Amino acid sequence: MREKRTLLFSLFNGETMKKIGGVILLLMLSVGVLRPDTLSLSLFQNITDNLFQNTYPEPDHLSNMSFSIDKNFSRLSLFAFGEYSYLFENSDIAYYSQDLGLDYLQPLNEKSALYFSLLGRGYFYKSDYSDYNYISVNGYIALKSYLSQTSILKSNYTLEYKSYRTSIFDYISHSLFVSADKYFPTKTTLKAEMNWGYKYFLQPYQTAITEAPVEMPSPQEGKGRGKHAGMGNVYDTPDVPVSTQQEGGEGIQVFSAGFLLAQGIGNKIGINLTGMKQWVLSGENPFDFVEEFYMVENPSYDRFSWSGIQIGSQVSFLMPWNVEMKVDFKYTDKEFPGIESLSLDGEPLGLTRNDQRSQLGVSVKKNFARITLFLSYSYVDNRSNDPFYDWEGNYLTVGLTWDHFYGEGK
Amino acid sequence: MRKRTYIFSLWFLGVIAGLPFAQTPQHFYNIDSERQVEGTIQEIVMEPRYKDSAPFLVLILEEKGTHLVYNVEVSPAWFFEQDFHKGEGLTVIGSFYTTDGKKMNIIAREVRFKGETLVLRDKHGFPNWQGGQTGEKGRRRGKGIKKF
Repeated sequence: MREKRTLLFSLFNGETMKKIGGVILLLMLSVGVLRPDTLSLSLFQNITDNLFQNTYPEPDHLSNMSFSIDKNFSRLSLFAFGEYSYLFENSDIAYYSQDLGLDYLQPLNEKSALYFSLLGRGYFYKSDYSDYNYISVNGYIALKSYLSQTSILKSNYTLEYKSYRTSIFDYISHSLFVSADKYFPTKTTLKAEMNWGYKYFLQPYQTAITEAPVEMPSPQEGKGRGKHAGMGNVYDTPDVPVSTQQEGGEGIQVFSAGFLLAQGIGNKIGINLTGMKQWVLSGENPFDFVEEFYMVENPSYDRFSWSGIQIGSQVSFLMPWNVEMKVDFKYTDKEFPGIESLSLDGEPLGLTRNDQRSQLGVSVKKNFARITLFLSYSYVDNRSNDPFYDWEGNYLTVGLTWDHFYGEGK
Repeated sequence: MRKRTYIFSLWFLGVIAGLPFAQTPQHFYNIDSERQVEGTIQEIVMEPRYKDSAPFLVLILEEKGTHLVYNVEVSPAWFFEQDFHKGEGLTVIGSFYTTDGKKMNIIAREVRFKGETLVLRDKHGFPNWQGGQTGEKGRRRGKGIKKF
């Protein structure tokens, strides 16, 4: 009986209902005050057998509900997005996030336009993960221009500031992206792109010297390294996964180059192949280890933390009854500069951590009048020279979104 | 007490959802004039379509077989959301109307191309592009579900 409830109704226990009530009240307040043009509600249920993505798999069920609203004033739009996520077995990782922002579209001529956005975001985790609570401000400017009717130039710049409850993670980052594509009469699109980024840690690293050895999990624990992959043990102390070897205010600079080759077959089939190589130009990870968790953002693992390659392919089909199906495969080979691989007993192996990951995914989407249904499955096989991160996992997601429009029917 | 609070909340939400906010009597999506056109993009432009609104992405589409030319209104937001090129084939479903007695226009509700469906409006014609105008798909919607 409990299992059934776990599978289907993990969102609806007493504690969670309070959160949902809070989200509903916030939503009503937003709708009442902003009188938005659009309102979208989403509900997703996720099932995984390896939540913490390490060699000790731990299953869990994740429920996720969110809302987004928009209010347009000519070319200016205000938008808000709220999301509550609940984990049935690891309820202390539950979090609420809130985005609030505005954006503006400015055409330059018939072939070009500028887009600006300013976004404020807050992430608020429950107790075990509260050290990762943060607020952030994100400024974004993008240019898109048709060089010709078959060629597009795109570029954008992103400035982001994040302030964490544990200030050692605070940073400012800059990202610059440029791409150009060309469409050929053979229905082939070729695109080249480049990305440069710089992440500057605002706090001196030495202020967060670990005062106690990092706790290592026993094989029976099935938890993360350092802190319970998700939260817990080590984070209950002031310890953070920060190296004692480096000193303050340094940054990581990365550069990547990539390509996309896409082929259309009629209007109902699309195939694409992508490739990307990233280099770390300066700096390295200041942390003792980097981890990623399903659904939960971790400041030690992001696009600045690795160098390597990424290759992917995807096939999109339009099936009967207008059901959209995608099958994709991705392979990545990532090295994490500054991160040394350890044995399961915590002994240094003298190697820089290197992960080779293969992942296969299938997703199906069906649009109805105002409701869209989603179903997706992924299998991930991650091979690492750090045995703790040698893992595989299965991920299943079902969900729906409901859109409602209040404003003009134009 | 708690039960009454939830009932009141749901009633309040329902009332708000049903409010008939003001509508302008111009350029409406007419579901009775819907048609489906399959063709090839001849040109891509941004044009003003509505008062006090950002210019629309307009695809000049030549219908397969008939060679009729349609101006397909996509939306302001999708200029950044999707990359259309001259020569690409697509199927559009939308509300048909004419201007100047001869210029054929379609307010796009759904666009199918490259094996994907872009839903720009729901089946009643109401815009569905609140997630767009971002330059990065999903940007405005936050993290959402982490997909592998």
